Amino acid sequence: MRAKWLWMTWLAGLAAACGEGQAIFKVDVYSFLKGTGDDTIPYFVQPGPPDSASSTPRRIDLPGAGSSIVDSVLVNGKVNFENQAGTGTIGLQLYLDSTAAGTLNSSALALTVPDANVSGNAPTPDTIIGRLSSNVISLLAGKQVWIRFKAKGSNSGLVLLQGNAVLKGLRLTVVMNDKFF
Amino acid sequence: MRTSVIGIGLVALTVGAAAQAVGQGLTFDARRIGMGGLTLGRSASLVRYNPAYRAVPEAADRRGRPRVTIPIPLGIIQFLHDHPHLSTDPAFHPDSAGFNPILAVNTLLNLPIYLEVKKAPTPTNDVLFRIGKNELRVNLGAAAQLVPEDQFGFGGSSRVLDPGLAIKGVRVSVLGWLHYDLGMQLGDTLLAFLRDSVPAKDSTGYSVLGSGIAEGGFAPTISYAGRIAGDSSTGLYLGGALHYYLGVAYARSNVTAGFRTDSVIFGGTNPATPFGSGLTSYSKPGNAFGHGVGGDVGIAWISGPIELGIGVNDIGATLTWSDTRQDSVFYRDTSFSKPVANHVSTTTKLPVSYIANVTYTVGKTTLGADVLNTGRGATVHVGGEQRLGLIAVRGGVARDQRKRIEFGFGGGVRLGALGLDVGFWTHTNSLSNERGVTMATSFSIY
Repeated sequence: MRAKWLWMTWLAGLAAACGEGQAIFKVDVYSFLKGTGDDTIPYFVQPGPPDSASSTPRRIDLPGAGSSIVDSVLVNGKVNFENQAGTGTIGLQLYLDSTAAGTLNSSALALTVPDANVSGNAPTPDTIIGRLSSNVISLLAGKQVWIRFKAKGSNSGLVLLQGNAVLKGLRLTVVMNDKFF
Repeated sequence: MRTSVIGIGLVALTVGAAAQAVGQGLTFDARRIGMGGLTLGRSASLVRYNPAYRAVPEAADRRGRPRVTIPIPLGIIQFLHDHPHLSTDPAFHPDSAGFNPILAVNTLLNLPIYLEVKKAPTPTNDVLFRIGKNELRVNLGAAAQLVPEDQFGFGGSSRVLDPGLAIKGVRVSVLGWLHYDLGMQLGDTLLAFLRDSVPAKDSTGYSVLGSGIAEGGFAPTISYAGRIAGDSSTGLYLGGALHYYLGVAYARSNVTAGFRTDSVIFGGTNPATPFGSGLTSYSKPGNAFGHGVGGDVGIAWISGPIELGIGVNDIGATLTWSDTRQDSVFYRDTSFSKPVANHVSTTTKLPVSYIANVTYTVGKTTLGADVLNTGRGATVHVGGEQRLGLIAVRGGVARDQRKRIEFGFGGGVRLGALGLDVGFWTHTNSLSNERGVTMATSFSIY
């Protein structure tokens, strides 16, 4: 099925081959998750050792860029930790793989959002920003990628820490540097 | 199947630029390149398109046309130096990660015959893609200016062989003729998507309209060319030809091809579905001949240092093909065709071609201009040559079929029967909006 991605190769060729310019893909990941329920990760953390909760892996369809070389992938977005009870910290991790099951592997970890302090019944907005791990960025040249979110938290209080990590935006900026010239 | 959004665009760019290259024509004479494509003297174009020139004696040609011109293909040496292992060079192999489509296209558009002293720079901008579940937008930046807005293509008619007998200016002959034309035009939605960075819409078709024709045959011809006034130094020449065209075969196709976006562009695994449909008409060799009548006229006036000529070909040349088959063609997952009609009558029309030329010689200076239209827009050449002893200096300007201005300059040295010429010519044949410069070299034997 080489022909399926051939056009994108040529597109990337046209793009990257235009002198020393780069092909830049801005992928609105949030648009694939919004309204599916996968943009919300409920968390429940008992007092004691840290715990985590995960979303269902979700497929993101891409045009595909053949054998193009992914140079870097920047991530930016917003998440609301809509805490309902308890006190502690909540962070977010992003996993990417070419298969749904593969996102469960620790090697699929693409980005870790630093923990944010949450307390009581109040939302805590947080910013997602960073670069995807170099281990996974080549996946963005494919025709599809599976994505999974994991909320991890620690409970420093005596009551159950519970709430929802609600994604409000997530965009990947994929920079491709093909060596056509 | 994911279809070629930009593949179509790149094909459009390629064919558009190819049309331009074809329009400018392949020239192997450094003298001509040095004058911006102008030919001084009796060129094949003059005789082909102006039947009066068959009667103009060579003695009236004062510009000294070489008997033989031998190109010196320095470009091939340069190309082989840059790509010593062409058969394994990854830049030319689509299966390789190092495949360079732009280099491959530019090599095709600028055959490396002559030395490329200044390569046309390709746009050096980033290209941006915005992708969402129901969003696809491409910003090609400066490269978007390479996407052709108007119809583009190439075509023309040619005549192959013309054996015959001539008595006192009247000639009876049988000429072989060919006509081909390929045109493409991006549909409005695809043009806006590629050139104006308009976001793709769901459930929308993006298409290219294509048309092509190829036909050929032979034509019993009776023609006349002669001087109707004056003498060999000052005279008025008239020419005309009447052709009875017999078409051996033809094929014509009008096709719309492209892709349709999904109801949610990236909502499934098939964001775009290719489609194609069209009508093909053809008459194969062995079917009844196509029939038609047409003519050529031409006039040339030689008066001392001035020479003027106008010629028009294939006037009224419409052929009727009585045994044509028509098929409708479709593509959706796989291609198939369906007969529409058979043994029906269709018509084709050869394009009217014309040439107008003027040359003026004073002392060792020769100036000239010509306008040539072979059916797909006029090309204009204006140039001149100044001889200074053994040396000649040349310059010229041309306007190609896409109305782009090109410049030529050069020179040469002639030692007796041998001449060495160098010519520089700007071109915009590459996938670029900027000009490159070619240096041509050739030997001439006078």
